[in-house]
Amino acid sequence: MLFYSYFKTLVGKEVTVELKNDLAITGTLHSVDQYLNVKLNNVKVVNEAKYPHMMSVRNCFIRGSVVRYVQLPPGSVDIEILHDATRREARG
Amino acid sequence: MADEDAATVKEPLDLIRLSLDERIYVKLRGDRELRGRLHAYDQHLNMILGEVEETITTVEIDDETYEEIIKTQKRMVPYLFVRGDGVILCAPPLRQ
Amino acid sequence: MEDVPPPGTALVEELDKLLMVQLRDGRKILGILRSFDQFANLVLEGAVERTIVGLLYSETPLGLYVVRGENVVLLGEIDESRDPPPALQRVPESEIRIAQRAEREQEKIKKTMKARMDFLDFID
Repeated sequence: MLFYSYFKTLVGKEVTVELKNDLAITGTLHSVDQYLNVKLNNVKVVNEAKYPHMMSVRNCFIRGSVVRYVQLPPGSVDIEILHDATRREARG
Repeated sequence: MADEDAATVKEPLDLIRLSLDERIYVKLRGDRELRGRLHAYDQHLNMILGEVEETITTVEIDDETYEEIIKTQKRMVPYLFVRGDGVILCAPPLRQ
Repeated sequence: MEDVPPPGTALVEELDKLLMVQLRDGRKILGILRSFDQFANLVLEGAVERTIVGLLYSETPLGLYVVRGENVVLLGEIDESRDPPPALQRVPESEIRIAQRAEREQEKIKKTMKARMDFLDFID
């Protein structure tokens, strides 16, 4: 639940989701669920010319399993909280 | 007692717990490598890394000569969430 | 502990909307979402496959489709005021097949050359 809880704190912030098929999408995080599926609003595709099928898409749902990375907004990462939550999670 | 608990290594992920707030090396599927500071992880090896350097190794074929060109691209990312299913291995970075 | 919504409710807002579903093999299917579950298995009504090659595209009618969740990469809500994208030109299906074949041929050549080079490296 650590990352689910963390991503919930990012709702409303701008993130870039990079998929395993190399597609990278920037957008406002609208929601996340326990599978780490995410919904982005006002999306913009990095390297848009290569992915013309995304030109008419403004909001999208991304299946958690196809995500490789999420680039996080620097101001939103509270390192102390993350460390504590990780230690708590590791203890089980 | 608590300190002793924190320092013991009983299972593989305990070793990763000891790398919290340290710079680590992560090898990923798709010829990708990351070097960065470990801020969070879970049992799937989902992670958050800070000050990340990503290295991508690609082999391209020249259109005319058909020669193999091995390229390494590098980039820096301030904070990165990494999905655990792409992780091949984690290691403390080699000390130089 | 936390206010976890019931599993598999993430797509409720997308019901009865026209969506573009991108599959893991790269195909794009457009249709109206009529049902889904926690795996993102989908039921699409009036589905069509949109094949895009360069700036050409064509659409093939498929009918009612059930898509297995694990093959779903993303679902895009189609903004109908921007669809089809003005930059794309619609052509008949036969024409897109020809363009597709040419594109695949090109990729195959590259792959064979890479395999040969790998083999040469191996015997070195």
